[in-house]
Amino acid sequence: MKALNRRKLITASAVLAIVGLAATAIPAQAAEVGVSSTQIKLGMTLPMTGTASLGYNKIPGAARAYFDYLNANGGINGRKVTLVVEDDRYVPTEAVAKTNKLILRDKVMALLAPLGTANVKAVASSVNPARRGVPVLFVNTGFSGFADKKKYPTTYTVLPSYVMEAKIMGEYIKENFAGKKIGLLYQDDDFGTDALAGFKSAGTNFTIKVPYASGSQSAAAAAGWITKFKAAEVDVVILFGVSSATSAMLGVAAQLKYAPQWMLGSVGGDATTIKLTGVPAGVLYNAIGFSPVPATTDMKDEYVKFFSDIYAKAVPGSPFDLNVLLGMNTAFMTAQALKAAGPRPTRKSLMAAIDSKGATFANSALVPAGYSKTSHVGLTGYWVGKYSPTGDLSPIGGTYVTYTTDSGSGPVVKSTYKRPAMPAKGLPN
Amino acid sequence: MHKAKKESTHLPLFILGGVVLYFLSGMVDELRVYQGATIAVYVIAISSIILLTGYSGQVSLGHGALMAVGAYAAAVLRIEFNLPIILCFVAAVLAAAIGGALLGAAAARLSGPYLAGTTLALAIGLPSLANQFAILGGEQGLLFDVGFPPLALGEEFTQYKWFFWIAALAALISMWVIRNLLNSAYGRAWRAGRGNEVAAQLAGINTARSKVLAFTISAGIAGLAGALLAMTIGTVSPSAFPLALSFSLLTGAVLSGITTLGGVIIGAVVLVAIPEIADVVAHRLGSSESVTTNLPGLIVSGLLILTVLFVPNGPVEQHRARKAKHAAQHTSSKKKDKH
Repeated sequence: MKALNRRKLITASAVLAIVGLAATAIPAQAAEVGVSSTQIKLGMTLPMTGTASLGYNKIPGAARAYFDYLNANGGINGRKVTLVVEDDRYVPTEAVAKTNKLILRDKVMALLAPLGTANVKAVASSVNPARRGVPVLFVNTGFSGFADKKKYPTTYTVLPSYVMEAKIMGEYIKENFAGKKIGLLYQDDDFGTDALAGFKSAGTNFTIKVPYASGSQSAAAAAGWITKFKAAEVDVVILFGVSSATSAMLGVAAQLKYAPQWMLGSVGGDATTIKLTGVPAGVLYNAIGFSPVPATTDMKDEYVKFFSDIYAKAVPGSPFDLNVLLGMNTAFMTAQALKAAGPRPTRKSLMAAIDSKGATFANSALVPAGYSKTSHVGLTGYWVGKYSPTGDLSPIGGTYVTYTTDSGSGPVVKSTYKRPAMPAKGLPN
Repeated sequence: MHKAKKESTHLPLFILGGVVLYFLSGMVDELRVYQGATIAVYVIAISSIILLTGYSGQVSLGHGALMAVGAYAAAVLRIEFNLPIILCFVAAVLAAAIGGALLGAAAARLSGPYLAGTTLALAIGLPSLANQFAILGGEQGLLFDVGFPPLALGEEFTQYKWFFWIAALAALISMWVIRNLLNSAYGRAWRAGRGNEVAAQLAGINTARSKVLAFTISAGIAGLAGALLAMTIGTVSPSAFPLALSFSLLTGAVLSGITTLGGVIIGAVVLVAIPEIADVVAHRLGSSESVTTNLPGLIVSGLLILTVLFVPNGPVEQHRARKAKHAAQHTSSKKKDKH
């Protein structure tokens, strides 16, 4: 009898819970999803809490800073752009749950800059934005696979891929460190696999390659890596890992007075993120770094000046760093795509606008974007710089030297790309 | 004699539950259907913890890793051999059960914090093993596609409804199995061992074997939950099985009442509903992003503390105890009346 009562209770509570959840559901709306006469709604998932959120959790504030400026200046044809942000804690399960909420409940027009390879992949598979016709604009990952139009028909990349970065590093080494002994530290997952593919394509020969498992990076591990690099007597050490690996390595190396020529990949080369891990930015001094967008301290650059002014007003006291610049740049490109999508933008016209005009969208990057009817590839290269004692990356010799390439076997070339001038008042025209 | 009376397995009740869920899935919107599938997955995962910790008295902080074993087994078989989906789920159960048996053999020699530590290490280390073998797809993971719903169900039948049906059916079946297992001689042996190991041994129970068996079965159930989780997100990757998953399962089990299988739905619903509630609260308060993003964690932690303080055995157990007490008072007062 007792057992039966318990069963009843479970069944009853299950039914109640599900009915309760169902009761709060909101009915669907007509017209193009996420677009009304007064607003355009976009959604973003990324880690806002937890260890993986370090540095990245400034991106929504940065994107909103630009959208707020845009909205205060008339929006997109009178429509205000709003951004709904959800925390996925860098877990695919959460990313799927939150993306479902954005698409099914909040009814956003498009997803903006979702972060992390595994997350974007899980969302593509489970939520399936492609089947729902939802654009996934400017994914925040360097995994080259997302530019595959067949597999991800509604997804657009923006960051240059890890393969491109490794190829450009290889080219730079060929030009500047011929005959030197080169060492490589890389993460032994897809991130590293992409890098190895790029270095192979560039023909870079390594004296030693040290892999590390994601999550294993620590001061103790770094001491072990240094022993290996020292034993191999390398002149240049490339750190192609995440920020925590960079800071562990450079922090320990400074203590041990180990000072080869460091070369940092862009993922692990953001000074503010490195500072957040507790290592002084001074350890970055003289390291070689790569970036697709101008130096964040370059106030002579019209885009950097414009973005940093808006950001300082919107989020006072928060340093203007690479994540902020990239976040605002993405918002800036999105605004142009929405404007180019016509007076009554739809998901289809938005994607068509990027396909036809995306390569000419004004934005701060010093390298061209590869969007076309047949390609969803974003930025295609990097400029090479050195870090100052305060951890700021600036072009070597004061002028930006940029390289462009692709994620395949194409050559690495010095770029002659002329960036479009910033539209008047920084508003899409 | 009580022994002679064969206890009911309550099969009709579970079938009734299935019918109710079937109709519900047709009434709610797609997001709710997806959340329903997630709840079903959590129900299975939490019940595996309740079986292990509540009944057999062994702590595991590593069930997230066992879920990963099941999920990877299912995904690899699906991709490499294109096995029917039902066999993939069976394989997930078996693979995780084998892992659980190995772990259980070690676990039977450990207890308390040592066991917690061992399983914790597993939760941290195991998922990232996937980066070492190309067949496991590295950090970006493997696709796990259970396929489209059968055409016979109609054009309108969504993918998520299909997920929900599969997950809910699996949950009902596994709950039925666990429930009857706990009421069998095995269940009694587990409880005896948990209550007093020496006394159980004196009563002729091989407690070591009994513990390993509990670990094996619990792991198998966790493996099923893992494969179902992979189904709902369409992929398997190391980051889908973080340490936080193992912790939230344990939290769910405590909220459900760690010694009562009956409360399992409470923990599962709470885990899914908390972010929603937090969202509503944060919107009402019009608070900043940092409040919204940290509120779910705060609410879960708060609930956990309140549960441990006020209903340490879980709300269902509490309710039952109060009812039993009430009934006892009732009968005793009746007896008094007779005098």
